[in-house]
Amino acid sequence: MRLTRRSTLAAALATGLPLGFPGLADAQASGQVVVGTWGGDYGDLLASNIDKPILAPKGIEVLQDVGPQDPRKTKLIAERASRRGSMDVCCLSDVDMFTLAQQGVFEPIEEGRIPNLAKAIPSLKRPYSAPHIYSAKVILYNPAKVTTAPQSYADLWDPKYRGRVGLVDILHLQNMEAASLAAGGTEHDYEPGKKKLMELRSLDVKIYPSNEALAAALKSEEVWLTIMWLARGFMWKKSGIPVEHAVPSEGATSICFEMSVPKNARNRAGALAYLDAALDARAQTAFADRMGYAPTVTDAQLPPELARQISLTPEQQAKLRTPDYEYIAKNQVALIDFWNKEFKR
Amino acid sequence: MGTLTLDGLSRRYATTTAVERVDLDVAQGEFVALLGPSGCGKTTTLRMVAGFVPPSSGRILIAGRDVTRAPPHGRDTGMVFQSYALFPHMTVGENVAFGLEMRKVARAERDARVREALRLARLEGLAGRLPRQLSGGQQQRVALARALVVNPAVFLLDEPLSNLDAKLRAEVRIEIRALQQRLGLTTLFVTHDQEEALTMADRLVVMERGRVRQIGTAEALYERPADAFVAGFIGRCNLLRGTPEAPGRFRTPGGALLPCLPQQAHHGQVLALRPERIAVATAGDGLAARLVAVTYLGAQTEYHLDLAGTRLLASAPTPAEGDPRRALAPGDAVLAHWDPAEARLLPAEPGDLPDDPT
Amino acid sequence: MAALLLPATLLVLGLLVAPMAMLFRISLNRYDAAQMMQEALTAENYLRALADPYYREVLATTLGVALACTLLALLIGFPPAYWLARMESRWKSLAVILTLFPLLVGNVVRAAGWMALLGRDGAINAALLGAGLIAEPWPMLYTTGAVIAGILAVVAPYMILTLSAVIEGIPRGVEEAAANLGAGPLTAFRRVVLPLALPGVAAGCVLVFILCMNAYATPVLLGGPQFKMMAPAVYDQFVRGTNWPFGAALAFLLLVVTLVLTLIGSTLLAGRSRSR
Repeated sequence: MRLTRRSTLAAALATGLPLGFPGLADAQASGQVVVGTWGGDYGDLLASNIDKPILAPKGIEVLQDVGPQDPRKTKLIAERASRRGSMDVCCLSDVDMFTLAQQGVFEPIEEGRIPNLAKAIPSLKRPYSAPHIYSAKVILYNPAKVTTAPQSYADLWDPKYRGRVGLVDILHLQNMEAASLAAGGTEHDYEPGKKKLMELRSLDVKIYPSNEALAAALKSEEVWLTIMWLARGFMWKKSGIPVEHAVPSEGATSICFEMSVPKNARNRAGALAYLDAALDARAQTAFADRMGYAPTVTDAQLPPELARQISLTPEQQAKLRTPDYEYIAKNQVALIDFWNKEFKR
Repeated sequence: MGTLTLDGLSRRYATTTAVERVDLDVAQGEFVALLGPSGCGKTTTLRMVAGFVPPSSGRILIAGRDVTRAPPHGRDTGMVFQSYALFPHMTVGENVAFGLEMRKVARAERDARVREALRLARLEGLAGRLPRQLSGGQQQRVALARALVVNPAVFLLDEPLSNLDAKLRAEVRIEIRALQQRLGLTTLFVTHDQEEALTMADRLVVMERGRVRQIGTAEALYERPADAFVAGFIGRCNLLRGTPEAPGRFRTPGGALLPCLPQQAHHGQVLALRPERIAVATAGDGLAARLVAVTYLGAQTEYHLDLAGTRLLASAPTPAEGDPRRALAPGDAVLAHWDPAEARLLPAEPGDLPDDPT
Repeated sequence: MAALLLPATLLVLGLLVAPMAMLFRISLNRYDAAQMMQEALTAENYLRALADPYYREVLATTLGVALACTLLALLIGFPPAYWLARMESRWKSLAVILTLFPLLVGNVVRAAGWMALLGRDGAINAALLGAGLIAEPWPMLYTTGAVIAGILAVVAPYMILTLSAVIEGIPRGVEEAAANLGAGPLTAFRRVVLPLALPGVAAGCVLVFILCMNAYATPVLLGGPQFKMMAPAVYDQFVRGTNWPFGAALAFLLLVVTLVLTLIGSTLLAGRSRSR
């Protein structure tokens, strides 16, 4: 009997084998997997650490659908009603992933079908996605200008730093959350942060359209302090931008880049194999060195020096906050309106 | 109105010379035509006078004033363009009034002069029309009226008739000439049509490859061409290469000895003989020739002759019925006769003769 | 022939009209945080956009920038357009390609160039500081001026090529005739060239105005986060706020305002160029 994919599947169904059986998932996974992802370093690292070494030998060909996150989100929403989508795997940051999961565009994640998920840090696991890499929101400061390292987000409101705090426009939600925490609030309600942000506005806070623009301003010492991902701070420091990082006493907030499988994926088996490969310890460490993001699986070992620079101490880890995705999803229209109409005005 | 003087006027481009040292004096009220094949420099010369092409060297004087470096709008010339160049967004009246406006002529006088110009150009009642609502002939007359209404010192015409049909062209020719004479306009006219030049101009300037070949009245150019080019360009002419032997004798390459005006050999190597000055006969005096072809043209008949290997064209009023010449057919032997004074030796440059390699 | 034209026309109409119709339909829906969108037939998105002083200000900024850019593009575009139209040498096609050259670079890349030029550490500030002309970097990036300059660089080629095509159709003879009749270059331009070029001026202005009204990358990158024009505001609603109905309503408002102003403008210009 010739063993084709279809006949195997038929046989599996006929014998009542559970589809979650790992060996079967592997046997099914083949063909082409389309991954909607960012380009640049991230896309390159995916290709060189996941696609080629792990998936190619299994006969899975990975095609990257490269682009910024926003169009990818829009594409998912627009394709929601289609029976066959254009992506098998979709990479998004945690907040957007949650928003879209709420719209019901993703396949629920069954741990049994992604063996490596068992080793993922529990607090990063979601029912609709696999965590790929993560970092934490921290304070970056110029040690030559800010001689006493800031302790908390609230230190950014010190009048002696008037005009020297810069924020990135695209991180409006993260900035609002930080402001809430600085105001003594929580990640579950940004209202206290609104007033706090207006105070920062009267302290001549500078707003930059992109991370690159902020990096240039930090480099030229136009601004000395900002709120940013630790991973990015690490990369900037490596490229000669004068910054150190301080973990805020209010507690750092995690950022996680996640991968999901849209319900209308054409190659679901291949997509699951892709997620599993992404969680492979071998693939994870490469992102730490090149991008400063920490592995999401416990069995990935980083060199101690690197680990010190991009990870949190156990105490800091204990205070790590997870964004309140539900709150954000419910309020994001109002939040962006506040940010645009009142704060940025 | 005034005189026009061109003094050593030249226009050279990187690799070519468009106009080479042109000297010309146009008297007050005189009509001079610049005539020549396309590319001879006649239009460039006119455009230099108008100020659209800066001369490389030489001077231009209008009414005694040196305008060589003056801009076009400071020259007081009135030009009629080949394309008429009417302002398409202005009415006929506005077109004609434009030059008066530029000269800041007061409104009342301006209106009166526009009316008069339109009357002269037989355009009454069309003042409110747009150019595109007019026929070609009417547009042409608007262009004339627009150029004349300002009373320019010099009137410039750049092939103004070439866009009209043949019948209209003959009419307008006479009209322009009459107008020019009535108003005493000093006129420079560019054309490639010799008939136009001959019928309209007081004097003609024949140009070729940027140079003036001859200046003179129509009669002077026809009867006493300065060189083989002019002889061939103005009217039709048999132009024969050969060798002057004795004074009054010219040897063709085929060995025939032709009678000609006794001239010094240095006058030229080309014998010029107008077709209508050759008489063809069946008996009497003359050189023996064989008839190659006969072309009946109504009033005229043309005879293509072979004279000891030399081709000659003769043309004569068609003989009356009964005249033995009426029966001539190709192959017949005939006699060709001309007054030796009609056969002139002319200098020639390479390319001057139609069958010369150029 | 008709048998071939009909399907093609239907296809084009479908491709053009269908997305617009869909967008319009979305603009009548209601936003819902959980579902994103609720089917509805309501004008509330439009009413909200019109009532909100913030969006009125954004629209005013957009109009101001678009009008300024259109006018400036016309002013700086006319001389090169004229020059290009009257060019006779074999370099003409090269000049046309050079005019198009800025369009070969994407708006984002071009904006990056402007940022490198206008930034605090940009080439201009470096030169001015180096020459001792200023003591502190002069803020040029993230200003209205930077946006106008940036958009101008994008739209100028459209203006130049549109004008140039029309000027090329004006016979050189009419200009010479004007000069011959005593008009100096300025008078000849005002009385003859400009009136005849009006259709090109109208076409160029309409084209450029529409491009300016819809500018996205340049205002975002050169205007900075505080500078808002309509296209980025629409994008914000669609993508960052995921409020598609309101974003669609904003997009339609932008479209209608652009259309109305374009019609008014071209009618006025057509009136000036006399009934033809």
